[in-house]
Amino acid sequence: MRLVLLGLLFAGCTTASVPTPTKAVCPTPDPMTLTWDSFGQGFMTEFCNDCHSSTLSHSERNGAPLFHDYDTLMTVLYIPEHIDQWAGAGPAATNTIMPPARCPSTPGGPLDRNCPQPTQQQREDLSVWLACEVKRPHMF
Amino acid sequence: MTPGRRIGAAVLVGWFAPLTPGVARADHDMATMSENHQDRSELSVGLSVEAARFDSTYYVGSYQGVTPSLDWMRGRFGASAAIGLYHLTENGLSNYGAGDAMLGGHVAVVEEDALHAGVALHVMFPTGSELDNLGMGHTMAMPSAWATWRASPVTVAVSAGYGRALVDLGGGGHDHGPMPLVDPMNLQELTWSAAADVDLGRGMQVGGRARGGVPIGTGRTRAIGGGRLAWGSPRISTGLEIQVGLAGDPFTIRGVVDTALRF
Repeated sequence: MRLVLLGLLFAGCTTASVPTPTKAVCPTPDPMTLTWDSFGQGFMTEFCNDCHSSTLSHSERNGAPLFHDYDTLMTVLYIPEHIDQWAGAGPAATNTIMPPARCPSTPGGPLDRNCPQPTQQQREDLSVWLACEVKRPHMF
Repeated sequence: MTPGRRIGAAVLVGWFAPLTPGVARADHDMATMSENHQDRSELSVGLSVEAARFDSTYYVGSYQGVTPSLDWMRGRFGASAAIGLYHLTENGLSNYGAGDAMLGGHVAVVEEDALHAGVALHVMFPTGSELDNLGMGHTMAMPSAWATWRASPVTVAVSAGYGRALVDLGGGGHDHGPMPLVDPMNLQELTWSAAADVDLGRGMQVGGRARGGVPIGTGRTRAIGGGRLAWGSPRISTGLEIQVGLAGDPFTIRGVVDTALRF
């Protein structure tokens, strides 16, 4: 019985956020109001590219996985679901795992400042943009 | 139990303990337990210190860990508990934290002079942060079967088991490679291990080990090999081990020093 209680205690200790699909959908027809040029590139530059950039070596990424680079539309579209589940918001979830609490002042630098955080509207726009962008034709 | 046999059992414990606070440890616990023919309880405390480097598809870095453990045995039965505490450096980010905690129980089914065999059930609890790559993020249940055979001066131990995360396996989550970085496992897998040790006399043993996991469904096959030198007395034993990742990127190389004190 004591072991069971101890087990429940251990299980209850984990309360970290879980990456969750937001189930955001792209309006039909696609209004083309959220695009890489009008939204995506700016969002990634402000909130992500200090660590998620193809120009950074592994030791400069402050923990960001290799091949998770968001400095081009092509590399964003490698893993749009992943971005949605870690930073997006929609009908099913609001994911605030990313950006983290601390960020570098310069790309690849030490974590010496608080990370800017997207607004709820920006997170919702991110998920809708991704939902639209994956359906659009691309010539990569 | 003679000192030599007891040390042999401790050596087996030392091999599996630092690898995975789960199935692998069970094999060692079994080996130790199988040597405990007395009706009185035996308690042991252990500590392993490890340092590893890894270079997988998505992460490059290293970690250092300290794993305290507690084992109890009485007759055919035994139980164990352990939790690793880590410093993890992954792609330039430094983190400190606990890994997943393990609780286990085991029983010997066969107890002959040379052959001992039994079953075990270990459970890992998600005390480690999945997002920090220190834990699975799920409770894992790992039943296993084990056997040891001894023909002095050689001791051979094998085990086979099954590990499963106690969650819906159909989620199809994003693949970040072997997870967690400090002790990767698949959400559902078959596990195996094999070890052989030779007594050198004067309480010293040398041996080789291999262990791994084969995913059921999605995942990746994992294999680890290593060599071990151990020494000690019936009361206290210490081992030094060098391990290499053979498949599945669990790590490139890892060094482990472990010691156990029995009461």
